[in-house]
Amino acid sequence: MRNILAIAGKELRGYFASPIGYVLVGFYALLFGWFFYTLVAFFERQSMQMAMGGQGGSLNINQMLVAPLLMNATVIMLLVFPLITMRTYAEEKRSGTMELLLTSPITDWQIILGKFIGALGLYAAMLAVTVVHMGVLFVFGTPEWKPIATGYLGLLLMGGSFLSLGLFISSLTRNQIVAGMITFSVFLLLWVINWVSSFVGPTAQAVLNTLSVTEHFDDFAKGIIDTKHLVYYLSFIAMGLFLTMKSVDSERWRG
Amino acid sequence: MIEVDHLSIRYGPFTAVDDVSFRVESGQILGFLGPNGAGKTTTMRIITGYIPATSGRATVAGYDVFEQPLEAKRRTGYLPEVPPLYPDMTVREYLTFVAKIKGLRSHIRDRVDEVMKRTWVADMADRHCAKLSKGYKQRVGLAQAIIHNPDVLVLDEPTAGLDPRQIIETRQLIRELAGTHTIVLSTHILPEVSQTCQRVVIINKGRVVAVDSPENLTSRMQGASTIFVQADGPVADVQSTLQNLRGVTRVSSADPRTGPATFEVDAEKGVDVRREIASSIVSRGWGLLEMRPLRMSLEDIFLSVITEEPTAPPGAPGAAAGEDQVAEATHA
Repeated sequence: MRNILAIAGKELRGYFASPIGYVLVGFYALLFGWFFYTLVAFFERQSMQMAMGGQGGSLNINQMLVAPLLMNATVIMLLVFPLITMRTYAEEKRSGTMELLLTSPITDWQIILGKFIGALGLYAAMLAVTVVHMGVLFVFGTPEWKPIATGYLGLLLMGGSFLSLGLFISSLTRNQIVAGMITFSVFLLLWVINWVSSFVGPTAQAVLNTLSVTEHFDDFAKGIIDTKHLVYYLSFIAMGLFLTMKSVDSERWRG
Repeated sequence: MIEVDHLSIRYGPFTAVDDVSFRVESGQILGFLGPNGAGKTTTMRIITGYIPATSGRATVAGYDVFEQPLEAKRRTGYLPEVPPLYPDMTVREYLTFVAKIKGLRSHIRDRVDEVMKRTWVADMADRHCAKLSKGYKQRVGLAQAIIHNPDVLVLDEPTAGLDPRQIIETRQLIRELAGTHTIVLSTHILPEVSQTCQRVVIINKGRVVAVDSPENLTSRMQGASTIFVQADGPVADVQSTLQNLRGVTRVSSADPRTGPATFEVDAEKGVDVRREIASSIVSRGWGLLEMRPLRMSLEDIFLSVITEEPTAPPGAPGAAAGEDQVAEATHA
């Protein structure tokens, strides 16, 4: 465990010792803030219209604002995560520090988990900034906190899935650009894989819907924790880390 | 302390290391000598557990590096060819991190300070690794290798890229460490081996071609002694006179640049022909301008060992023949 934390700490310090961490957190906050602003403006107009129309009751802020906001936040993930993961292994291989890690008395699992937790920590820092926006909602409105919490849980799980996959792709190459491009393409494919579901047969449709990373996020954004989705994300993470481990191991044999 | 037993590693049809065996006793310094691409780095990477071998065994402090990698790695410090530094970390941060992953649990701060002092990098403690000079990088790499006080140190070209003063200091440090650590170091700088190592392994094309102490290697290869002679007289006459002396096996004209009548005289092993050479030349009325024994430098030995390799297996009695081949090649 100490070894895992040592690696995770090294990764996190690596992000924030260079501009990488600050740029990622800062621009994530900028994009999230923009989405927040547009959605709030839209929500405001909708509420106004409803009040003018004389209909009773008010709009559900969770459904109308928070859920779409979190969905938008996942799009940023799609674009930003390849940048986080593309260097994790590629950089270590290029600078020769892989040799230090692999000749130290730590297991491959500890290295991989450390790197994964480090990247997840950076993502958590990015998400932490958005708590401010949610705070604004609580000051001026009365949203329910539980669907927001599950939404964040969903974001973390989805992020973890992408990070583990990105880690694996990074472990395949010593070239960061190659790692970044492949990661982005695979992410995007997983994103849009169910767009064709209406043209294919019902079986294929079910399969594609199950594979799609976004499909599983919807329920979290609505405030539902379904074990089906939990299992999907957790096994996705496990598979990504397992593949990374195999890739690192096979790299040794190939020299 | 280190035992390498019939180690081979193949990448497809290419054999990088071929049946390498040697052992290093506790507290010794072993020099690993060979041309670039001979398999030095590959062998070291196997010993440190970075890559697995195709066949054979390697043990460090009694632990098999394949079967008990964590135990073996805990007792091994490794300086790769390129010091494995994180450019964004300061020297102190870096060494602290290495101490943690090497398994140090307490007094990390003190140990980092101690090691920085020992490798003369304390004045750069808060400098980022990326901004260090080549010499400092190399020494931080050395600090990283000794931070957990390992039994075994594996150093891949520890003095590469250092300036002459730093090379001397680094060699000094390595010799100091030898008492408490067992050291394997690779180099292609030959004097380094004779100055620091007690044993030498010469490796070429993945095979061990010689294992011995530098002194033994020198005397063994010097089976037949060679004497350089310059005489003031007719070249052909001098040559035939020398040729006829007892104990002389061969006379060849030396490099013409060194003078008109210059010869290299090979004598039988154990026979000192200098007295005969001097008196025969002087008694004929020629002048003896120069006479000195030609010592084989480690460079010559190294060259002859790796040249003879296809014809004679290591340690076989064909060594002298191989040496002659080299001698002829140089005269041609």
